[in-house]
Amino acid sequence: MKMKVGEALLLFGFIGIALTMMLAFLWAPSVSINAFESPAAQRIFYWHVPSAWAAFIAFGVLFVGSAGWMFKRSELMWRLHIAGSEAGLATGLMVVWSGCVWGAAEWGTPWDWSDVRLNSFGLLTLLAVYLVLGRGSQPDGVETRDTFAAFGLYGFILVPFTYVATRIWAIRHPGPVVGTDDGGSLNADMGFLLLFGTLSFTLLIVGHMLTSMRITSFEQRIEALQKTLDGGV
Amino acid sequence: MAKTLLEAVNIEVRRGMGVVLSNHNLLAKQGDVVVLEGANGSGKSTLIEAIARLLPLEKGHVNHGEMLVVDHEGRRKPSPLNVSLALQKNGALGSERVKEHLEIAMKMAGQSLDFSPFLDAFSLTHRANDCISNLSQGQARKVAVLAALLPAFASSNPSIVLMDEPDAGLDESSIEALCGCINELRKAGHCLVISTHDERVKDCATTKHHLPSGRNTPCEPQQKGDTSSHSTSPESPVSPSRFGLTMQWRTLAWLNQNAMAALLTLGILMAMGPWTDSLTELQQLGFILAPALAAGLCGDAMVAMCREERTNAWWRAVSTGPPHSGVLPFLLGAVVTMASNFALVSEFSAINMFVGALLTGITSHVLRLAHQSTERLARPQAVFIGLLTPVLILPYALLLDMLTR
Repeated sequence: MKMKVGEALLLFGFIGIALTMMLAFLWAPSVSINAFESPAAQRIFYWHVPSAWAAFIAFGVLFVGSAGWMFKRSELMWRLHIAGSEAGLATGLMVVWSGCVWGAAEWGTPWDWSDVRLNSFGLLTLLAVYLVLGRGSQPDGVETRDTFAAFGLYGFILVPFTYVATRIWAIRHPGPVVGTDDGGSLNADMGFLLLFGTLSFTLLIVGHMLTSMRITSFEQRIEALQKTLDGGV
Repeated sequence: MAKTLLEAVNIEVRRGMGVVLSNHNLLAKQGDVVVLEGANGSGKSTLIEAIARLLPLEKGHVNHGEMLVVDHEGRRKPSPLNVSLALQKNGALGSERVKEHLEIAMKMAGQSLDFSPFLDAFSLTHRANDCISNLSQGQARKVAVLAALLPAFASSNPSIVLMDEPDAGLDESSIEALCGCINELRKAGHCLVISTHDERVKDCATTKHHLPSGRNTPCEPQQKGDTSSHSTSPESPVSPSRFGLTMQWRTLAWLNQNAMAALLTLGILMAMGPWTDSLTELQQLGFILAPALAAGLCGDAMVAMCREERTNAWWRAVSTGPPHSGVLPFLLGAVVTMASNFALVSEFSAINMFVGALLTGITSHVLRLAHQSTERLARPQAVFIGLLTPVLILPYALLLDMLTR
């Protein structure tokens, strides 16, 4: 069977992520033992940050899909909404569990209910869980689509909020390490691996969304065929 | 010349995956009785709910009088006219009393009248003080129909009366009384839009509107029903929060839902023994306020209650919104925090009570809004809205931090 673009991107993404993790454990330079409580656990950073980047792409797509459905009533946009929420759920969980593992090692606690960044990102992930499970509990229809698209639109407010949270409330989660005014705190090898990981996660998430849209399109075709067999429109 | 009271212009309404009404027009003037005809599923109920502002439009707009009240761009404005409604479901809670529901319906029109002759005509006099849950289905339907008719009788201005299969389950004498009321309202210059399959009700029509074609057939209505004068008195409308408080007080749903959660939380904390002295100030305050947060996290009992017989839809059509518990969660939060303050640290703190009141009140109303946002879904009770509640822990944690800093 011929491989589609989405599946090919998924495959390249998986290979890239596997390589990233291998390099993170075997090749990436160690961090200073003075700067970290648990320097070895810092290597989870090469998974945590790229997956957060991929999550923001997914939530961006969710927003575009939700807005497109609300304002254009486009089937393509509804498929984007579904793909964005599923990809947001997958990557959101990747970020949350890797953050919990790192937090447990570094801070001595996997979660801090008073940290704005942790909680706003946690909510984004819960929103994705809500959209995916909630959609599964309802028959497809304009009412279902409108309701979940509205949640997708409101939920996107959390994306810029999550992004700036560590700049405004430096509670426990550290601030940015790249793209800052002082040039960041990463050396060249670390920066390269982070970039490679980010590209791999980007390929994975784009592949995931393309595949998800294709599956949704098949589901819609099956539903239309079933309606024809029922004698409906 | 008769004024136009209702106009639906090129409306398109979707339900599920199908377009139920497409490019549909409807016009009703003073003294019109428009009877909607059509097979099951042709869009009669959809048309009534669209002109009652209960359904969003994909295209077109609806005017009440000369004012646009709902359009395809999502505008939804209060009607300048008195609109009364009987949906297919009765739109009344089982805990409401017959007399009370009818009084509320009339107060929405800003007027009230002595409705005992109407109760007589519909054989409901002996049930006036009964709860609606004690009535038979047919009797409850009569109450719903009267709740649509009486506001127009009480109103001195032209009204819009919308009724979706008002005859369903009614006995012969009640259908006769219903036809008499329809004719009387027509003669008084109100406009009625009625969906029905009953020939006797159809005979009251001045226009038969066929669905889905939208074709109008003018008719000569039967002349039964005299115009009688009813003495009315001005009344102020009942707000959704006042109604919510009345129902909460009567059913004690808040005790079962919110107060029990708070008491259980407090009970668990107290079961751990006298340990609060060893805690930091922040931890102590966290435990004192925990029962108030638990009470708020249970949401507003009115949301689930008002799903009964589509009461929320009836309120959205005739009032400013669905009923809610208003100040009750704030009061509950204050009382619960006072109790936990005494139980855990043997002190009274007005600041803690105030914070507890805000915590329960705001949390409960945020959850109410979240639940109400899923009301359009086919299965609102099956949706996972609880998954979003952990977000409320962050403001709680920040609040504790701020108060103890």
